Amino acid sequence: MDQIIQVAVLGIGLGGVFALMGSGLSLVFGVMRIVNLAHPSLIIGGAYIAYWGFKLYGIDPLIMLPVCAVILAVTGILFYKVFFERDAKSATYSEMTVLLTFAIAMIVEGALGAAFSNTQRVTSPVYATDAFFIGDVFIPKGQLYAGIVSIVIIGLLAAFLKYSRLGYAIRATTQNREAAALLGVNVNMVGLMSFAIGIGLAGAAGALTSFVFSFFPAKHWEWVAVLMSLVVMGGMGSILGTVIAAFSLSIVAAFVGTWIGSTWSTMTFFLALFLVLLFRPQGLFGEKPELV
Amino acid sequence: MQARLLTAVVTAVAVATPALAQDVLRIGASLPLTGNFSVSGEKHEQGYSLCVDLINETGGLIDRPVELLVSDNRSDNATAISQYERFINVNGVEAVFGTFSSRLTFPVASILSRNGFVHPVPAGGALRIYTQGYEGIYYMQPNAAEYVGSSLRDLIADRVDEADRPTSVAVVWADDFFANAVAAGLLGQQVMDPADGSLVADLAPGYLVEAGLEIQMEERWPEEGFNDWLNLANSIKNSGAELIVGLTASAEEASQLTRALQTVRADPKMVYLSQGTQAEYYESVGNASNGVLVHTSWHPNAPFEGVLGGEAFSNADFIAAFAAKYGFDPDEDSAIPFAVCQAMAQAITATGTTDNSVMDEWLSARTLEDPVRTILGRFAWDERGLPIGKPFLMAQWQNDGELNFVYPLDEFPGTADLVYPKNGWE
Repeated sequence: MDQIIQVAVLGIGLGGVFALMGSGLSLVFGVMRIVNLAHPSLIIGGAYIAYWGFKLYGIDPLIMLPVCAVILAVTGILFYKVFFERDAKSATYSEMTVLLTFAIAMIVEGALGAAFSNTQRVTSPVYATDAFFIGDVFIPKGQLYAGIVSIVIIGLLAAFLKYSRLGYAIRATTQNREAAALLGVNVNMVGLMSFAIGIGLAGAAGALTSFVFSFFPAKHWEWVAVLMSLVVMGGMGSILGTVIAAFSLSIVAAFVGTWIGSTWSTMTFFLALFLVLLFRPQGLFGEKPELV
Repeated sequence: MQARLLTAVVTAVAVATPALAQDVLRIGASLPLTGNFSVSGEKHEQGYSLCVDLINETGGLIDRPVELLVSDNRSDNATAISQYERFINVNGVEAVFGTFSSRLTFPVASILSRNGFVHPVPAGGALRIYTQGYEGIYYMQPNAAEYVGSSLRDLIADRVDEADRPTSVAVVWADDFFANAVAAGLLGQQVMDPADGSLVADLAPGYLVEAGLEIQMEERWPEEGFNDWLNLANSIKNSGAELIVGLTASAEEASQLTRALQTVRADPKMVYLSQGTQAEYYESVGNASNGVLVHTSWHPNAPFEGVLGGEAFSNADFIAAFAAKYGFDPDEDSAIPFAVCQAMAQAITATGTTDNSVMDEWLSARTLEDPVRTILGRFAWDERGLPIGKPFLMAQWQNDGELNFVYPLDEFPGTADLVYPKNGWE
């Protein structure tokens, strides 16, 4: 029984980190229809900021988190203005963004490599390799703290979307961009702010992942498929769906890894992606695509 | 008159330009500067570049300046292949340096063999690479990956009291060309030729069984995208194994595994990893590294005497030159490619040509009495291209950040005492 609880705890811990990593990706797609393959590379950017804050000044990555989020949000505004705003009304916008963000991911990877070298990094606050022990069950402090902070941030985001004026506009734009525009919503500004928030979430996720996983500029390729599977399973654009997918798949993967084998734990995410696309392509909480 | 003079000058320049261009001796290297192997790829570039710079400072090779062409293969097999083909057919390189990793080396070896190029391999230890019958391939580490485990077996036999030796082992490894090869030797598996399925080597019963160890756990994780380190470490802990063998494909994975073992408070007597000599490994795990054993081909304290530019160039010289150029100390991933460059430089200098068939003949004729001399020691190869008479060094992290070599005992002076059993995770 202890072993079952232990594996579930480890799955929940991993799911908390993935939830935040995937939330920004989901928000940006929901509002902007941008399939942002560069999202994981920007998470790495946030991780580097947290790393150097810790390395040079001894600032805990949890304290650095707002700094990472703001720097990445500003970066998101610049990226949006330079790369995305011009073609936002294109009929093939989503398709174009796949190629565009793929290119951006490579540029970000190259820039990070040039700036910080390709050496692997990880921040090492004391709690990163420590754990609470309850009987024979341990709860890794690093994942616990990262998971709690993730849930708090996602909760704040949900409250912001539900209760703020901008949040109303973002939700309206997510549901129907044309209708929102007709009702007076400045959809371009909403798109810009959503993109900034989404990339800001990547920065926050970077601060958390900096002590949960080691990283280097090319590491984002290992995350992009996992994050895409979470977002697709949750329903493209549904943050709640992404969070539920992150926790459920991480828990399933933990059990698969323990009782079937580590090789199959990563496969869990891709198998889920395959099954979702086969039987429920709109995901858990996504809208069914309209037939033309 | 002026027009005739101008024509003469232009003609002379036109004639001289190809001659000058031809005078540069170009050497090509396709390296994984981005992608999964970028950490090691960047260090390989540093090792190659330093060596070429030092050669040029002493007048080049056979009185010609050397130009190093490096391309980023993004850790991708197909890109590495096309880049070597481009080096040969478009850039006109006269020699090549090998790439990093068994996975990239395996397909590249075929291309270089077909083009008749000498292929010095810095990192590509899988035995299957050397059983394909390729001419001109030379491995620049002590032995094929399948045989690495013999050093662990011998270390346990020679350095740990019989009554206190570990009795059980958990073996976990990356589903990677190199790590699979090391695991095959440790676990006594059969190595098959991927081309025709024929038996390359039967490694039974395996070095772990030979060391008297009972195998409590075998687990492999996927080469890419694996994040569930704590779960894996928890399974290792629950196995109760006294020896943990972690065959990682990179120092990054070694860091992840070590940190996870520390977090779950696994308590083995001994931990052996296939990667982890790098400075960033220690930076990532700190003093949790104390007692961790890692096999290595190079060590800063090894008193190897090599040759560069026709003059003696020791391991200590390499460390000093590297620190002067880059501002930090080298590790194995820069030292090995430096030795590759030394070997090729000696072949070109000794033969006085860049004719690869002549260089191949010279390299294959090396013996332990008349070897290639590098900062990794002496090299002579068998007919497969694997070094003869070279043991791996076993190093151990000790005393909060010192990487001391602890085995073999009689290779050279300075072998440190073995820290055993490992005293927890600090």
